[in-house]
Amino acid sequence: MNLTPSDDQEQLRAATERWLEDNLPIGRPRGKDASAWAQLEDMGWLTVTRDGLDHGTEALLFAELGRFLAPVAMISTAVARRWTSLDGKVALAVGSRLLDPEDASGALGLFERAVGHHVIGPIEARPGLDQLTPIADRGDTRPQPVEGKDAALHLRLLAAAFAVGCAEAAAIMATDYAKLREQFGRPIGAFQAIKHMCVDMAVRAAVARSQLLFAACALDGGEPDRAFHVAAAKRLADDAALMNGGAAIQVHGGIGMTDEAHPHLTLKRAHLLRFVAPVETGELLV
Amino acid sequence: MEIGFSPEERRFREECRDWLAANVPGERRPLHAVDALEFDKAWQRKLFDAGWAGINWPTEYGGRGLPIAQQVIWLEEYARAGAPWIGANFVGINHGGPTLIANATAEQKAFHLPRILRAESIWCQGFSEPGAGSDLAGIRTRGRVEGERLIVNGSKIWTGFAMVADYQELLLRTGESSSRHSGMSWVICDMRAPGIEVRPIRNISGDIEFNQVFYDDVSMPLDNVVGGLGNGWRVAMSTLGFERGTGFIADQVKQSQDVEELIALATRNGRIREAAIADRLGQLRAEVAALRAMTYRNISEVERRGQPGPEASMIRLVGAELGQRIERLSVELVGEEMLDFTYGDHGWVQEYLRGYAATIAGGSAQIQRDIIGERILGLPRSR
Repeated sequence: MNLTPSDDQEQLRAATERWLEDNLPIGRPRGKDASAWAQLEDMGWLTVTRDGLDHGTEALLFAELGRFLAPVAMISTAVARRWTSLDGKVALAVGSRLLDPEDASGALGLFERAVGHHVIGPIEARPGLDQLTPIADRGDTRPQPVEGKDAALHLRLLAAAFAVGCAEAAAIMATDYAKLREQFGRPIGAFQAIKHMCVDMAVRAAVARSQLLFAACALDGGEPDRAFHVAAAKRLADDAALMNGGAAIQVHGGIGMTDEAHPHLTLKRAHLLRFVAPVETGELLV
Repeated sequence: MEIGFSPEERRFREECRDWLAANVPGERRPLHAVDALEFDKAWQRKLFDAGWAGINWPTEYGGRGLPIAQQVIWLEEYARAGAPWIGANFVGINHGGPTLIANATAEQKAFHLPRILRAESIWCQGFSEPGAGSDLAGIRTRGRVEGERLIVNGSKIWTGFAMVADYQELLLRTGESSSRHSGMSWVICDMRAPGIEVRPIRNISGDIEFNQVFYDDVSMPLDNVVGGLGNGWRVAMSTLGFERGTGFIADQVKQSQDVEELIALATRNGRIREAAIADRLGQLRAEVAALRAMTYRNISEVERRGQPGPEASMIRLVGAELGQRIERLSVELVGEEMLDFTYGDHGWVQEYLRGYAATIAGGSAQIQRDIIGERILGLPRSR
């Protein structure tokens, strides 16, 4: 039993964080062309488990990606690399919509609890709630089921990792702001009403991250209760992301209500992630 | 990262399981401290004789000195077997003893530690006062040095097991009253000394366990001061370092068993068909799993770096509030029968009422949040 990342894992995580700080900071306009995606592809995050590394490592890296609100097609593409022979960018299919479909050649998502995929042609995407995620209608293409009993768990795990990162991003933003913003002559973080909100955000994120790592290890070990642990991770991560997104806006006050500030980006991403491999109550009770 | 245990650890788990299956008492632990004393002593003595006492204490002081992974296994199996709370031995084993190990003289250790492990002396804590709860540095119970003696006057409160205790870890003001942290001393107080009066206080679940203690010119040897006169705050805080995050494992396993029992109860009485009830049960099941994951993370952090990670202080807060949500749902599932509860009853309602202490005792949830906010998140001090 060991839930502390190894030195190798920590190095990979730190390198990922550094790259994202330099290349994909929240708030910088993101490249919409294929070259921006190719850069992400080159970094190797999408083939971690296809290339034989474990879900534990992958979860650590996807939580970092999630913290920078990276493109959600990274989730579907990583699952496609592991379980299908689809090449190129793979859009994330959610219900009747496609997320991140620009320049994608295929789509993958959960269809009646099983992972399916299909080919897509050139698509004109439109903006949506999450301003970092263009969307399009999926059409009525019938998805092809993906072989592999853990593919759906893999998809849910990576979505949970993104949500953990999103919850952490919101917590960090709020805490940093509470140290800077002054009212009544002191930083607002000195007031317990604000301080305790920041603590609750950090705690929710830490709880969700812990379950994420446990679930990833359960998946790696083929544990009989891995489906429950992955479902628990997704549920807690979704709730942490949504509550932290809202709390981050509140801690920022008026600035938090502006499009220019970043807290709303975490809230909107949190809402979007809830639709990816959503957890039904029954799955937590098996 | 992995969540499995080694073959050696699995063998150890079997050993724990077998011993507990054969030795856990069949009868319930009585609720009142006075009634439970003999039960608590007998059970601790049994643990000691079988080599399970002080599993996290160093072997040189009679403990088992188990590696942290095996402590986890023992505590998990302990709770799984439904073994009783160590009750009157709690402060000696988990607090007073470890503080002595870290700070006391060789003579103090040689005298007290074996007695604690064998349940020959019962300890209680004397920190909180009527005027100093969350603001512990505001204590006013005073020890006046007179030659080789310390003369104590004042009062302590919320002192569990004081009415049955032999010794107390007593935090006193021995310096200027304005000195706050610097003028305190940590003293071993003989609870049989003349001038001590103990008044039991009934709690909201009807149990008589905590007390108010009054000191009227109580004289004790200056040699009973541990860690040096004026160092009481440092001594009191040092025990936190000894704890290292395994302290709540048994509670967590109990919480997980409680949730499984509630799922079974809701299935039997049909309430699980209510979407709101099912959702709360599922949510609690997920949270209990996450708390275990958080504890495992903390334990592997201790094994790897020799000290707990920043999450350690969150575990207690999360566990306390999660426990209260479980207890709250339990009485909703009990339903109208809850109204029949009277003092002395065991069960969900008793545990629910008693559970309100979890976010007050040993540092309120509000103080915990201040500590996390200031020490982990680096937010400016509130006070």
